[in-house]
Order: sequence, then C-alpha cells, then structure tokens
Amino acid sequence: MSNETKVADESGVDKGLIAMFLRMSPEERLRANDDAFRTILELRDAYRRQKADERGLE
Amino acid sequence: MPTGGRKQTSAGLSEVLVGLLEAGVDFILVGGLAAVIQGAPVTTMDVDIVHSQSPENIARLLAFLKSVEAVHRRFDDKLIELKEGDLLGKGHVLLATLIGPIDVLAVIEGGRSYEDLLEHTVDIDFRGHTLRVLDLKTLIELKKTSTDPKDKHRLPVLRETLRQLDEKYSRGEDKEDSEDE
Repeated sequence: MSNETKVADESGVDKGLIAMFLRMSPEERLRANDDAFRTILELRDAYRRQKADERGLE
Repeated sequence: MPTGGRKQTSAGLSEVLVGLLEAGVDFILVGGLAAVIQGAPVTTMDVDIVHSQSPENIARLLAFLKSVEAVHRRFDDKLIELKEGDLLGKGHVLLATLIGPIDVLAVIEGGRSYEDLLEHTVDIDFRGHTLRVLDLKTLIELKKTSTDPKDKHRLPVLRETLRQLDEKYSRGEDKEDSEDE
C-alpha cells in the first residue's frame, strides 16, 4: 500500500489496518496470525537453505 | 527461532491453544496473541499463557506439554526436558514444542498471577471451547511499564485498536466481540 493511501497518525499507526482486523471475528484473526506464522517459518527456512547452498558452492 | 534443536511441525499457534483447551488446562492467554484476538494487527510467533498453579492444573499442563514433547527453548541445541518443578515456581518457562513455542508464565508484570488477572479477562468462544483472554485495556496497562522494545513499539497499535474497539461498541457494532465480554 502506498504512503498516500495509508491512514496513519503521527505515531505511524496504520488505522485502516486496525479497522480491517476489527471487522474480522476472533477466529479469523487467529487464522490470519497462523498464516503469517507459517509463512514466516517457511521464508526463514528457505533463507537458511539458500544460505547453506551458497556456502556449499563456495 | 531457537527450538532447542528440535524441528516443529507446520501447525499454527491455534493448535497450541486447542491442545491446551482440550487438555482442560486453566490458563489466561496474554501477550501478542491476546492482542491479535482482540483485533490488533500484529504478528506473534509464540503463545504466552499465565496458568493456574493448583496441583490439579499443574498435572494437566505438564501432561499436555509432555505430549507435545516440550523442551526448554535455548540458543544452543541442548535438549532440556521440562520438569514439574519448572511450572511450580514464579518464573517464566520458555518452551519449544512440536506444535509451536509456548511461554508458560507463573506471573506477569507487577507480579500478577492467574487469580489476580481473572477479573480482567474476556471469554472467547473458540472451536467449541471457552478461551480466556486478558482484555486489551489491561494488556496496555501492563505493557506501559515494560522495558521490552517490542512492547514499546506495539503500544501505539494496541492503544489505537482499543480506541476503535470502544468506538465500535458505543455504536453497537462488533456484536460477536461484545457478546463475548
């Protein structure tokens, strides 16, 4: 999202993102965090594998 | 993330909550996930709970944690198994399990225990169970005194979430959340 379309206050809080989360049910919010959790683990794993491959090529 | 040398499955943090609830453990969800459930758009990588230290509950919690092969979370690969005594003290027990990291806290900021926090919780109906969650207002109060940079960073987000939530309640919206309180 561009800076122009973000609705943030002086502290940089993205009010629109909060409003979006508040429209979800608690279960949906947990699922969103689970998805983020799994994605982060997957990306970290991919990063580690990439680094290991690079070290193998050296 | 250090996992005590153990690889966890691809389960999400919801599975940790379901496991605790199905095991009949008395706990209050605190920390980042408590904020997530109440609408704060933050991402957290572990489950923080404050548990009841009654002997029966310690036994239930220990049995559950053993079933998911909990070990102390460390920076090295040493596997240090959890013991009953770890759950009886007043400290924080940081664990890695097969289904995700769990922080088991006897007390949180200001030395507040499970019993102290009970009156500041909201009940969430979650997959057929009642999940007890520390309310956002109390979470903010506790985080105000925290020296953790992550908490300081999150505080404005939590405050704005509470502000919008209060606004929604006063307009009579967000029925599902307000019914849980």
